[in-house]
Amino acid sequence: MRGERSVSERTVRKLQWLWIAVAFGLIGGIITWITHLIRTAWRLGDTPSASIGISLVSIPIFLTMLGVILYVFVGLRGDRGER
Amino acid sequence: MADPADSRDAALLAPIERTGRGFYVTVGILAAVILWGAIAYWTQFGEGLGVTGLHQPVSWGFYITNFVFFIGISHAGTLISAILRLSKAEWRRPVTRMAEVITVMVLFIGAGQILVDLGRPDRMLNIIRHGRYQSPLLWDATSISAYMTASLTYLYIPMIPDIAILRDRVGKWKLFYSVLALGWTGTERQQRVLNRAIAILAVLVIPIAVSVHSVVSFVFSMTLQPMWHSTIFGPYFVVGAIFSGIAALIVAMIAFRKAYGLESYLKPIHFRYLGQLLLVMSLLWFYFTFAEYLTGYYGSDPEEMKVFWSKFTGPFWPFFWGMALTNFVIPILCLMRLGRRTIGKVLIASLSVIVGMWLERFIIVVPTLSNPRLPFGEGLYLPTWVEWGEMAGSFALFALFYVLFTKVFPVISIWEIREGREVGLKEVEERLLTYLPDAAEPGVVGTRTEAVK
Amino acid sequence: MALWGMVIDLDRCTGCQACVMACKAENNVPSVGAKEAVRGRIISWMQVLTEEEEDHGGEVKRFVPRPCLQCDDPPCIKVCPVYATYRNPEGIVAQIYARCIGCRFCMAACPYNAKYFNWYRYQKEAPGQNPDVSLRPKGVVEKCTFCHHRLQKARERALAERRELAPGEYVTACAEVCPAGAIVFGDLSDPGSEVFRLARSPRAFRLLEALGTKPKVIYLSEGEGRG
Repeated sequence: MRGERSVSERTVRKLQWLWIAVAFGLIGGIITWITHLIRTAWRLGDTPSASIGISLVSIPIFLTMLGVILYVFVGLRGDRGER
Repeated sequence: MADPADSRDAALLAPIERTGRGFYVTVGILAAVILWGAIAYWTQFGEGLGVTGLHQPVSWGFYITNFVFFIGISHAGTLISAILRLSKAEWRRPVTRMAEVITVMVLFIGAGQILVDLGRPDRMLNIIRHGRYQSPLLWDATSISAYMTASLTYLYIPMIPDIAILRDRVGKWKLFYSVLALGWTGTERQQRVLNRAIAILAVLVIPIAVSVHSVVSFVFSMTLQPMWHSTIFGPYFVVGAIFSGIAALIVAMIAFRKAYGLESYLKPIHFRYLGQLLLVMSLLWFYFTFAEYLTGYYGSDPEEMKVFWSKFTGPFWPFFWGMALTNFVIPILCLMRLGRRTIGKVLIASLSVIVGMWLERFIIVVPTLSNPRLPFGEGLYLPTWVEWGEMAGSFALFALFYVLFTKVFPVISIWEIREGREVGLKEVEERLLTYLPDAAEPGVVGTRTEAVK
Repeated sequence: MALWGMVIDLDRCTGCQACVMACKAENNVPSVGAKEAVRGRIISWMQVLTEEEEDHGGEVKRFVPRPCLQCDDPPCIKVCPVYATYRNPEGIVAQIYARCIGCRFCMAACPYNAKYFNWYRYQKEAPGQNPDVSLRPKGVVEKCTFCHHRLQKARERALAERRELAPGEYVTACAEVCPAGAIVFGDLSDPGSEVFRLARSPRAFRLLEALGTKPKVIYLSEGEGRG
């Protein structure tokens, strides 16, 4: 019985890591995209001020959200491990 | 915190555990409408935007109107959920989940409208590969991405305790719920982590939401066209968005209240409060509209007046006065006195506002384009079956997403209801005592200071 | 560096629309057909606008040939999300058909309605087309380019003959064909050019000047010194 539970528990844990990886991938992807647009605007000399201004606001916001997600992920699962 | 053995809230789990005939009928009807929309778009994708009623100079029509409209409705979640949570309003408990779901679902539909409007949707990745941040469309892309991420997170994290209940109570999809529940067992530490995360997100999501509809308005106000290039557009659109968002939320609440028998959770008092909020937003919307048109009229700029009169007495007068009727007159009449027949009045007002706010978007987009500054040939915009089909399909797709959601997750936040029963009363009493004046003489028997201590 | 501009003398314009036809022939501008024309989908890079006299029962009082005004501060390039329209160093506002996603934001932003859209696939390969100008697919925006392909050809020729580009060697189709000589094309930065001189005429004015778009198509009003 315990063996069965730990197998499904391991599957659950692996899928949870996958879940958090998806979140990281999405948000990380958006941040990478924004930086790519800054670089393009800089290279083409096409109002880089707009890109820099917007990214100064948006990237911290995305990083904050990523931080909250990570905080919840670690905070909730860490407790279970202790038990 | 959430005791799975508590069977008082079985009604909230019932839609997930059992599926009635009504569900299949509803999904069938929605699927048929979505099929119409899909055929319409397929036609457009194959032949080109020529199958719509768009032309020069009215090169934006239904699709852009729908875009602004749907993104506007997404403000339901923010206002109710975040602001009410931050202000600790106890009546928010059965409402927050539905509001948050509206936001998430409708953002996808709204963003999809832009993609439908593109002449070359096969090149939509150009926005990612070659985007220019000077363009308001890129501001849209960024802020809507931020809002989508934030609202998804803000929907998911407060749902974790409910997912844990589902994991423990409901027989099916155990692996799915277990993964998403992130090991929630309701310990003190977990509760603290969750509450802190929700508080941070509630604060974060409000400025993001304000920015979303502001940048949607900037698509119009950053051009030089008469009656678009107005500084009022940012706040005007945000107010309109919150207005339409509350109306959509009320309609969704009434629909699911009926469908799932949630009368004991969604009581007339909740609709009364939401109705009062709707009334306030109607007055606020009217004030902004009045200020906008008075300014234009008083200034008498000839090109602006051309657009102005085309809305007031010209070809667009039915839509303009229809908007005034449905956004202002009907809601005021319905919501003035919410004593009796609350839910009926609030439903009529909300449906009226949804129609009215769609008309308002239409009135903003099309008349300005119809009246160019130069003596260009003016034509009348007559939408075709493709545009009607796309609009119907969009509404149906939103409804389908919503209905499917309610079959997988509880549509009312179970743990927040239980928190309200167990902890809410005491918290409110304690808070109330801090508002009241302290007793003048300390140590007197029976004074409130004694009680607080 | 040249700054290409145009001066259109409204006193000379007879409204014959030879410029419109020449432009259509030169740039493979499609004729969309009668049904589409009625729906308002005509593509006309050079379009002759008619200003009507309101108090004389709609009598036409003025013809205004309107190409793309090739603004020096174009509202259209500011709003393009994908850099499909941009202003090149010689002042020509270019349109990249291969990049355009058809969002039509530039059409909504242009105060002169100088941009047109391919609502269907209006153009197919056919004999008699100008091989120097590409055909536009469906779903993209197009507009007057000051016959930029002619500039490229003239430059290549000058390069091959190892000389500078002579004034008057590059001229747009509309300017070349106008029977009344109403359209004059040239380098606005060359003090010896005709357009330079005419642009400083007391009759010169710019359309919608107050908007600050700084158009490089300058009009000369009818009569003497009237705006």
